[in-house]
Amino acid sequence: MEIAQVLTANGVVASLKATSKKQALQDLATRAARLTGLHERQIFETLLERERLGSTGVGHGVAIPHGRIPGLDRLHGLFARLDTPIDFDAIDNLPVDLIFVLLAPETAGADHLKALARVSRLLRDKSMCEKLRGTDNPDALYALLTEAPATNAA
Amino acid sequence: MFGDPTQILFVGGVLILISIFAGLISSRAGAPLLLVFLVIGMVMGEDGPGGISFANYEAAYLIGSAALAIVLFDGGMRTHMDTLKLAAGPSLSLATVGVVVTTAVVAAATHWLTGTGWIQSVLIGSTVASTDAAAVFFLLNARGMEIHQRVRATLEVESGINDPIAVFLVTTCIAMLQAGTEPTIAGFALDFMAQMVGGGLLGLGAGFAMVWAINRFDFAPGIYPIFAVASALAVFGGSHFIGASGFLAVYVAGLVLGNRRHRGMQLILRFHDGLAWLSQIVMFVMLGLLVTPHDMVTDLGIGFLVAAVLIVLARPLAVVICLTPFRFSWREQAFIAWVGLRGAVPIFLASLPVMYALPGGAIYFHIAFATVLASLLLQGWTIGLAGKWLRLELPADHESAERLDLDVAGDGDRDVAGYRVGAKALALDYRYAELALPRRVRVLAVIRDGVVMDRDTLERLEEEDYVLLVAPPHQMFELDRIFSARRVVDAEADLVFGEFTLSGSAKLGEVGALYGFEVRPKDRDQTVDDYIRQHLRRKVVAGDRLRVGPVELVVRDMSAGKVAHFGVELDPDEPWRVRLRRLPVARLAHRVLGLVRPRALKRRTADD
Repeated sequence: MEIAQVLTANGVVASLKATSKKQALQDLATRAARLTGLHERQIFETLLERERLGSTGVGHGVAIPHGRIPGLDRLHGLFARLDTPIDFDAIDNLPVDLIFVLLAPETAGADHLKALARVSRLLRDKSMCEKLRGTDNPDALYALLTEAPATNAA
Repeated sequence: MFGDPTQILFVGGVLILISIFAGLISSRAGAPLLLVFLVIGMVMGEDGPGGISFANYEAAYLIGSAALAIVLFDGGMRTHMDTLKLAAGPSLSLATVGVVVTTAVVAAATHWLTGTGWIQSVLIGSTVASTDAAAVFFLLNARGMEIHQRVRATLEVESGINDPIAVFLVTTCIAMLQAGTEPTIAGFALDFMAQMVGGGLLGLGAGFAMVWAINRFDFAPGIYPIFAVASALAVFGGSHFIGASGFLAVYVAGLVLGNRRHRGMQLILRFHDGLAWLSQIVMFVMLGLLVTPHDMVTDLGIGFLVAAVLIVLARPLAVVICLTPFRFSWREQAFIAWVGLRGAVPIFLASLPVMYALPGGAIYFHIAFATVLASLLLQGWTIGLAGKWLRLELPADHESAERLDLDVAGDGDRDVAGYRVGAKALALDYRYAELALPRRVRVLAVIRDGVVMDRDTLERLEEEDYVLLVAPPHQMFELDRIFSARRVVDAEADLVFGEFTLSGSAKLGEVGALYGFEVRPKDRDQTVDDYIRQHLRRKVVAGDRLRVGPVELVVRDMSAGKVAHFGVELDPDEPWRVRLRRLPVARLAHRVLGLVRPRALKRRTADD
């Protein structure tokens, strides 16, 4: 599973402005709605529902909100870099400034899990996160995310 | 060469000092500490530059017995009741059936491969059959990693109670070889029961008597630990004298003393910590001195053969037989099998045949020595890696606390403890007035730069503040978590718990829908906490895993007996395969296979 299969260049937000977790998710849901043609409310609620089970802030400033949405055509990714980190109830209580949203169709099965695992591995890489934090150019961010060698892929 | 007693003192003192400093350096290099002590003994011995010739097996046996008794007593005192409850069944099984299976497999292999007589083979098997956990825990603690609690408890308790059985087998074999008679099975069993039951009862009795005496009589503070050591040695020697197992008795006495409230607890524990260190150093250096490497060379072949059979065949088989009934996962079994480290006991036991002047007595000693050496080198050095690969090493999110304990006289269930507030400690996240301390905990004083602060106007605690409080002893663990320095857990290491963390109260149906596993309609409203505890069918601890469909649920932390948080591991098989493939051996094998593989196969691999 390659990042390029789920993330398009227009799915990269180089400097998202948000002051709270809710606002960030709302903003990302709006953008995701534009990409997928689905209703933003549906996306927002799916993401919020998932956060209720436990924050997707996986630590070290990274969050990976995700969920399954009926009617989606394929896996859709959305990456946002925040200028100012926000509180995300992350497991290490550190504020979050890198967010990767992954939406999957209800029928996605194994692909969904593979993509999630791939994104999670990518953003657990310290040097990758440093590089992502170091640029606010959308093309550069997209290149970083998609050109990383999938060393861990089976 | 020791004509002069002062010379002995000088040499002894210097050897201990060398060991202490070498230990300091080795813990940084990650070398197994006990191996370092052993090697120091060998280097200082008659074949090394030290040139000390020491071949007094009687003295070695006496010193070794005392040192072992103290190490076991200390181990007992530090084994918490909870640990014992968690691992009583599995460790008892390993310490009895496990020792017998290990002995039998090693004996059979030795007999068939080398043509050694049966009794001699059993003697060899039983000398190397018991484990030593001290080295394991020292190494793991030094690396700041927590090992899975059940696995740790099992190894810990096993090593405390498996020596008696090995000792029993060894002494029985020696008696048989000396007398040249075959004992009856009934006599054998009877003797065994007497040793175990006698040892256990004597240990219990002695332990309670010690607690009673300590609370009853007013000793000078310095006397408490001395009273404990003297009692331990008396219990050990006394039990042995009347035909019961002194090893078991002294461990059980330690267990009782460590788990009952009594005065002088901290004094005794601190003193014994030092004493246990001294015992380990003395024992290993002495055993290193005792061996004469150039004599050993001829027996090295059989020694390493025994070590190989033990590590590859006997221990794993014993573990599988003993732990499968207790529903241990394959990872847990693999780790416990690999970490069946051999320490001082085998060498110590193998000095018996020499003492009793059995024909070829030195051979037993050399075999045991080679086995321990191989075990410390091979297993001791790879514990950390094994824990990582088997995903049983759990990242610790706080440093061990800097706590000063004070005993409050009397039987009240409160202790006074002092903490130095660690860097980034949890306590620093809250305003002082809002700091949520566990029940029945009272702060006595907050001291900053030597000044007692006014707590009514104190805004926040600061790093390096000194907090003095009264608390019930069982709350100390919770307090440790609040005041100790927090550690940033490496993102990769945290993957042990899976990619995402969810609350244990999440409904199974919701989690299943998200991560693609089927849930029967009637189970949908069940919480994941319930589901995990129901399906693991044993006391759940952090790091336990449950496979559901394509994912694995990993327990992250427990609170009041419930799963507070769990992780979802999305691709449970992959990390294991990947980790294996990252091994240099695997890479080499891959390359070699790549060279010899037929072209057709090669093309196919190029495609995927």
